Amino acid sequence: MPFNPLAERGLPLERQLRSWSELNVEPYDTRAVHPYTRCRVIVMNGIEVESIIFSHNFNRHCADVELKQRLQMIRRIEQQQQKAVNWLIPGEAQENAVEVTIGYEQVAVDLTAWLARHEPDPYLKQVYEFGLLEDFDHLYRYANLMDLMGNGRKAEEITGNYTDITPGRPTIFEHRDPRDDIRRPMTVQAAHRQSILNAMTLVAAEQQTMNYYMVVGNRPTDPLARAVYLEIAQIEEQHVSHYESCLDPNMSWLTNWVLHENNECWLYWSFLQTEVDPRIKQIWELHLAMEIEHLKTAARALEQIEGKDAAELIGAGYEAPMTFEENKAYLKQVVASQVDLTAWDAVFTPVTELPEGHRYFGYQAAVNAGGVPTEEVIRRHREKFGGEYRREDDPHSVAALQESGPHDNLGYWQAARANGATLGASPAAE
Amino acid sequence: MAQEQKPGGLKGALNKAGDMVGGMVGQASAATAGSHNSEAFVMNACVSDLYEVEAGRIAAQRARTDAARELGLMMVDHHTTATHQMQAALMSSEVTRVLPNLKPTTQLDNRREGMLKHLLEASDDDFDRTYLDQQRTAHQEAITLHKGYAENGDNPQLRSLAMGGLPMIERHLKAIERIGVH
Repeated sequence: MPFNPLAERGLPLERQLRSWSELNVEPYDTRAVHPYTRCRVIVMNGIEVESIIFSHNFNRHCADVELKQRLQMIRRIEQQQQKAVNWLIPGEAQENAVEVTIGYEQVAVDLTAWLARHEPDPYLKQVYEFGLLEDFDHLYRYANLMDLMGNGRKAEEITGNYTDITPGRPTIFEHRDPRDDIRRPMTVQAAHRQSILNAMTLVAAEQQTMNYYMVVGNRPTDPLARAVYLEIAQIEEQHVSHYESCLDPNMSWLTNWVLHENNECWLYWSFLQTEVDPRIKQIWELHLAMEIEHLKTAARALEQIEGKDAAELIGAGYEAPMTFEENKAYLKQVVASQVDLTAWDAVFTPVTELPEGHRYFGYQAAVNAGGVPTEEVIRRHREKFGGEYRREDDPHSVAALQESGPHDNLGYWQAARANGATLGASPAAE
Repeated sequence: MAQEQKPGGLKGALNKAGDMVGGMVGQASAATAGSHNSEAFVMNACVSDLYEVEAGRIAAQRARTDAARELGLMMVDHHTTATHQMQAALMSSEVTRVLPNLKPTTQLDNRREGMLKHLLEASDDDFDRTYLDQQRTAHQEAITLHKGYAENGDNPQLRSLAMGGLPMIERHLKAIERIGVH
């Protein structure tokens, strides 16, 4: 039976404020936490951050003082929720920035994969699979960086055996002309309700990853580590633009508010059902109860101000919880069939089919001139350890991406050479 | 397409008259079926973008003034983007669940074929004027089409596409009129 948040009773707003000591939660133990519990914490932090930033933007575009007060009330509580969630991540001594980064990339892989698998719209599914292969590659690059930075901990200790660590679409080729990151938006009126939830979830998760790298990317001292963060941070900006351009640009602020609260309800409800850590499960339960009231507050505002019924935006309720689970077989199939795709405006095409002199090659030449950190990190790892850091059950599903190559056979390398690109680096294993 | 210099004169005047009459027909079509029927909107918008890209390519090579050449290059870029937006929209289940057989039109119609022919036949001296005249007519028609469908169209996804494309087309028309003034 679907879970309809509008039909549930939540925690009254006046009982939602918590003290500093309640918010300053005990962090999880990095060596004992389930990898997917870490993923859920990272996702919910990103979801709360997005809801707060959205609310601030709404506030800046709203002249209605009483409505601003309602927004501010909810926003303050959501700030508290964000603290209670993000403070579950332990401090530097237990889990340093690159280790947290591995968690972020595992989220990007297994969250995007689940959403793509459950996306009813074929265009949006393609959008998600396209982005998925890029984050999949980031996990592999950061895992090699983590090994090089050398505190002895391996990336698979963070990810468990749930997620392969192996190349996706090579990061060097993910850098595209900015105009080619803009997709076709859905409409709230006609989109499947699940499509709205999927897109809002991905926007928030990718935005949090972008923000995280923008802030922590300059914290390492090692120039290579700084360079890898810098390069991948730029891709995260591409991804935020890529996913957010799928959202309906014509919906009202109030509709958008309702959809944000609804998205939070869906994810807390999802994680409440799948969480294995009883203490953290209690947080999801409490926050779901809070979010139900936030949703009802937003729904009342929509009804009072625009005369619209929020129930039409939510439908009958949630059918399936978002679930962190293995996506290895799915990933193998997507990599094998789509690794050579690139974007041209809102559509996806094999890179070898771009017309000669396409802007993609000019952008590649500009940003990759003088060396590519995400290639260098693999080269450095091979030099130091005699091979790459990978965690894969079988050989890579694309021969050109197997550790021993033949790397030159990848369509991207062929297209780059055909267009005279001087990329400043050779394939990683050459 | 081959570029062959042809004199203006009577032929040029007839071609211009033909483009104008064609433009009036297009306006009428855009204002009627194209303003509310999804199949007609998609067909007209696709053909309009195909024409703009082809005409822009010709202008990029033949225009005598920088302004007309730059306009042509911009048209190639912007209307390629519009073509891709349409392709993406037609992949969306918002369209396919109600119009499963609707596909982007990939061939020019006779009227636009004729306009391109006239463009190729224009003399070097007349080229910029011919291109700008055609651009003015074509963009006025495209504005009627997109504005009409945005207001009255029967598919939300395609209505959103029309709304998203309209500001660009309006900016194009302003740019064309600015060039025409100088």
